[in-house]
Amino acid sequence: MPRVLELADSASLLDSEAMTSERDEATESKIRDFERQALPLMPQLYGAALRWTRNPSDAEDLVQEAMAKAFVAWAQYQQGTNLKAWLYRIMTNTHINTYNRKAKDPSKGGLDELEDWQLGDAKSLTATTSRSAELEALDNLPSEIVRKSLLEIPEEFRMVVYYAVVDGLPYAEIAEVMGTPVGTVMSRLHRGKKLLRVLLAEYAIEQGYLSAELKTEKS
Amino acid sequence: MAEIDCEETKALVHEYLHNELRPEAQQDITVHLALCDSCEEEYDLEVYLNKAITRSCDEAPPKQLAERVLDYIRKTQTH
Repeated sequence: MPRVLELADSASLLDSEAMTSERDEATESKIRDFERQALPLMPQLYGAALRWTRNPSDAEDLVQEAMAKAFVAWAQYQQGTNLKAWLYRIMTNTHINTYNRKAKDPSKGGLDELEDWQLGDAKSLTATTSRSAELEALDNLPSEIVRKSLLEIPEEFRMVVYYAVVDGLPYAEIAEVMGTPVGTVMSRLHRGKKLLRVLLAEYAIEQGYLSAELKTEKS
Repeated sequence: MAEIDCEETKALVHEYLHNELRPEAQQDITVHLALCDSCEEEYDLEVYLNKAITRSCDEAPPKQLAERVLDYIRKTQTH
């Protein structure tokens, strides 16, 4: 009989509620607090995670791992300080640890020591280009191409460009999130934007958004 | 007010656009830009580049991600 079953169910529910320990209740209230404060920042975290991992499924995993770490460290978060920057910082560490476990890439490192000419030269590409043509091309380029180009520049540059341009984080906070001095943030932003501009100009030429004879201008 | 040349102006484009300069330096550049078409064009380009980047990074997380994250936290906390 359904009625009896219902009663039995609610009775066992009451039992299990009574058995819930204080510790579990404390965890639940911590989860609710975390949910209320940290979860609304998930779109931003996911956006940054996509830039780190370069694909949606790894980005979801990174957000999940970073959030779980943040929850464990939740007591250390100082209320009133910038929660987003705190979460970004945890995500940086999570990503770097995962990446280092997965594979060590010997070609990485030393990027900041590269000379400008090794990074490509936006000036030589654009010096004889009409800047209004470049501007128009930038405005017309499909987002897909811009997104793809951003993923093609080195990670350290890409993240600084993302945090500064898309997220609007001040240099000092980017420095904290990335664990670098502010000077490094500045040079990475400059170089990252420059690399991106060269890449976009190349795509723009390839796809006919910029006139093709400009190709010879590239050094 | 200090005189600032084109080279300095162009070098500070990101700091200017991201409001990272002292107010006086910001002001010096604003004045220079008003008088210099070449620098102004360069600044416009970076503004358009920023717009293009922002426009391209607009992916929303999947709807079930918040739930997945909370489930994961509950699971790893209680076991």
